Amino acid sequence: MASELTTESYISHHLTNLTCGKTPDGWTCNPYKVDEMGFWTFHVDSLFWSIFLGGIFVLLFKTAMSKKTNVDTPPKGLQNFVEMSIEFVEDNVQSLFGSSKNPLIAPLALTVFVWILLMNLMDLVPVDFLPVLAGHLAYAIVGEGHEWIKGPESLYFKVVPTTDPNITLGMALGVFILTIYYSITVKGPKAFIAELTLHPFGKWLIPVNFILEMVNFIAKPISLGLRLFGNLYAGEMIFILIALMLFFSSIPVGVMGFGLHLVWALFHILIVALQAFIFMALTIAYLAMAHETEEH
Amino acid sequence: MDINATLIAQAVVMIVFVAICWRYIYPPILSVMQEREKKISDGLEAAKKADDSLEEAKLAFDKELNKAKEDAAEILEKANARASKIVSDASSKADLEAEKIMASASIAVENETNKAKEELRQQMSEIIIDTTQKILGEEISKEKHEEILKKAAEEL
Repeated sequence: MASELTTESYISHHLTNLTCGKTPDGWTCNPYKVDEMGFWTFHVDSLFWSIFLGGIFVLLFKTAMSKKTNVDTPPKGLQNFVEMSIEFVEDNVQSLFGSSKNPLIAPLALTVFVWILLMNLMDLVPVDFLPVLAGHLAYAIVGEGHEWIKGPESLYFKVVPTTDPNITLGMALGVFILTIYYSITVKGPKAFIAELTLHPFGKWLIPVNFILEMVNFIAKPISLGLRLFGNLYAGEMIFILIALMLFFSSIPVGVMGFGLHLVWALFHILIVALQAFIFMALTIAYLAMAHETEEH
Repeated sequence: MDINATLIAQAVVMIVFVAICWRYIYPPILSVMQEREKKISDGLEAAKKADDSLEEAKLAFDKELNKAKEDAAEILEKANARASKIVSDASSKADLEAEKIMASASIAVENETNKAKEELRQQMSEIIIDTTQKILGEEISKEKHEEILKKAAEEL
């Protein structure tokens, strides 16, 4: 495959997930059979990094506090970082959520923020590094003559989970489920249905109200998920295009590519943190709306 | 880029991680932070109180010190007064004593003088009588003798 490496194949290689799914012949991860897979298909690479980074989050915050940590030991190092994150989240929850404090909101916001931050940070790892490493590893393990791993390049491996809409929309779905749950338990089912049907035109136009409110209601999680996906996907795309400058062009363009890569990586740090923050802030805001009981 | 079961898997994973964070990670960290916050504010309050009491103690100390100084000054004054009184008493007493001694001495001197004078007079009158007797050659009667003697004594 290396011999037929073109710009197009390079880009599409970077944008394809390692996909395992159910085909009529059974479960497989063969990329040539992706078209036969139905809904029960998993992006193994996205899920792997997502769970791996979630585990790092749990480990990071657990080890920072577990050993002999009590009130009398002055915080230092990792503990300072952890406490800073928690203070940051607490501040945001306080300002967006106000007085009626649900004990789930702050941990949810913290998880979402740190987890998405870690996933976004994977974007700063050079685009080819981990995919090539994984490809060589897989090839070394399964050896020659495998059904579809014919060389190191034949393994698709996407590293940034947040460039996969399934991941971002999955998280938005989680938030959406919580929103519905709290809307029903806090406001009561009656008030929740009333909110969806009696505005903005009153009870004589219930179907119109319902359609309008439904659009409004469903647009929230979709925009939440797609915003994160779009930003990170575009960022990743630009990294790939810059990487193309290095390998598929003349030397001067390649040198320019190094500079551009540095500039874009620096700028991307901002996007990485900003998008994680926006996702967290909107999660808190949507849940706060689910807790609001007064009429509007 | 198709939407598939990854979405559901990720939603489940997310709920699991949020649950872990909610149950096991967040509360212990937050409780440590809140406890520390409370401890620090308590400590600051205690420090403020200690400062206040130190201030109070300083004031009390100053007051005591001033009082002690005043007392000491008073005692000193009294002692001085008493000492000077003792000295003046002693000196006046000594003066008095000296005067007394002088007076008694002068009285004694006078007495002595008088006595000596008396004796002298006596002797002189005896001598004079003797002499006169011798000159006159006649014995003056005892009465006359006494009389003359008396007269001479008065004259002297």
